[in-house]
Amino acid sequence: MEAVNLALNLDEIERNYPGNPLEYFKDKKLCLFKACLEKYFPGVRWGIQDLLEGLDLEVSTCANQSCCSGTFFQRNLITRAQFAAINERNLNEMNRQADIVLFSCNGCYNSVLRGRDFLKFSEVKKKTQDLLNIFKEKEFGENYPGKYDILDNPKIRVTHDLDFLYLIRNDVLNSLKFDLKGLKVAAHYGCHYLNLERDKKTVESYLRDKTKLDEFISLFGGIPVDYQEKEECCGWGASQIVIHPNDALKGTYKKLKSAENVGADFLLMPCPTCLYTLSKPEFRNEISVLFGEKLDIPTIHLNELIAILRGCEEERCITLRRKTPRLDEIFEIITKE
Amino acid sequence: MDGYTDSDWNWDFYEELVDDVDENRNIIQCIFCGKCVGDCPATKVSNFNIRKIIRKVLRGDRSVLKDSDIWYCYLCERCRRVCPKDNINIPLLIINLRNESFKKGYGPRYNDLRKYVEMSERFLTNGTVLEDPLDGGLLPERMEELNEICNFARIKYVFKASKHKEKKKKKS
Repeated sequence: MEAVNLALNLDEIERNYPGNPLEYFKDKKLCLFKACLEKYFPGVRWGIQDLLEGLDLEVSTCANQSCCSGTFFQRNLITRAQFAAINERNLNEMNRQADIVLFSCNGCYNSVLRGRDFLKFSEVKKKTQDLLNIFKEKEFGENYPGKYDILDNPKIRVTHDLDFLYLIRNDVLNSLKFDLKGLKVAAHYGCHYLNLERDKKTVESYLRDKTKLDEFISLFGGIPVDYQEKEECCGWGASQIVIHPNDALKGTYKKLKSAENVGADFLLMPCPTCLYTLSKPEFRNEISVLFGEKLDIPTIHLNELIAILRGCEEERCITLRRKTPRLDEIFEIITKE
Repeated sequence: MDGYTDSDWNWDFYEELVDDVDENRNIIQCIFCGKCVGDCPATKVSNFNIRKIIRKVLRGDRSVLKDSDIWYCYLCERCRRVCPKDNINIPLLIINLRNESFKKGYGPRYNDLRKYVEMSERFLTNGTVLEDPLDGGLLPERMEELNEICNFARIKYVFKASKHKEKKKKKS
């Protein structure tokens, strides 16, 4: 049997629930996929959790979920079958407790869909199931919870936070206390959002320009600004910033500089990995050493921005350790009564 | 001129890669238009050139496995999006080439892998790549599962290397 594509069909929900797509989610159990890098940006997780609870949706995280393992697969430290098995293990766990899984990270979202994609190769699928069978053969006891099979027809569906939030944008807007007060915002989508084919139903939806983040900026009362490096990589590049930092930081520098050049007040993105790369103080310092220029344009994740616009306490939206004078200024402008 | 002659040309290498990953079959459709190169973030900052890499593979030139270039790919999938042909999966080809490179012992330099030691250790001890994750790591009694899945994987050897190093440090 062909492995089912788990991407939530957003178009269908929009068609079936015209004007009120939130209704579709009212009787669903939502689960937030825990991205490793949320550790540095707890506002990314908290921002969406608080919003969903405010909209009376049932939301949880899965205690038995592990890292998506994309980092190790991308560096050939695990095989396709091992990667797919880690993925199926996570999906099995989440399938037991939820109907829909939301992803705040482009990388994790891509990993989950890629892991499923590999199951279309019969050889990989067999090896994956063999790996999962190991737990059944071990004497863990009958009630051991870690017994998994490849999910041939699971109830669970997955979607990216940006796509989900855009679908319910009217409810998001209704929950806001503040607006962007005409701030100029540069959108950064991230490679694995822009180039992701695995969750698309049509070629057109795969190839067309991605505009949801820009639309959000306008809806929030800001001005989306175009910049030359808009579609470029943040510099993370599947850990290139770890392996070849000087080369990778060239891309990070060009991206930040390009957004500053058009007068953007901050960069907005839907991924904590991009946020980490574009905001880490050590990288910014390294950029100033390598390129002789100190760039201090602030960076914010969409979930964090929504929390700020909803009037949540500053330290819950943006971790204090990340605060810079310019980020502080943005917060003050937005939250001025 | 790419410096190849007709006698250099053979399909053996291509067949091997297809045998390993069936999807690689589609790279034969490559028309060398260069769109992937023009839009590639790695090409902008390094010598990574996917057109040259595909040409080498189709020419049967195994020296590509020794090229450090293959380790510069960002796996961003932009090439897939801009490629005018259907179903040429360049990122998967790169992962496959890196795998072959590892098997032949060319692999990345030790220094590069060393940066994965801590991440591998955390993944195999608490299920995440960072210390003190947001809600704590995976429960210790469930860690066995990840360790079983990853048995015989390179991540295990990187992890063991970290343990070996730790022991040596303690001894000295």
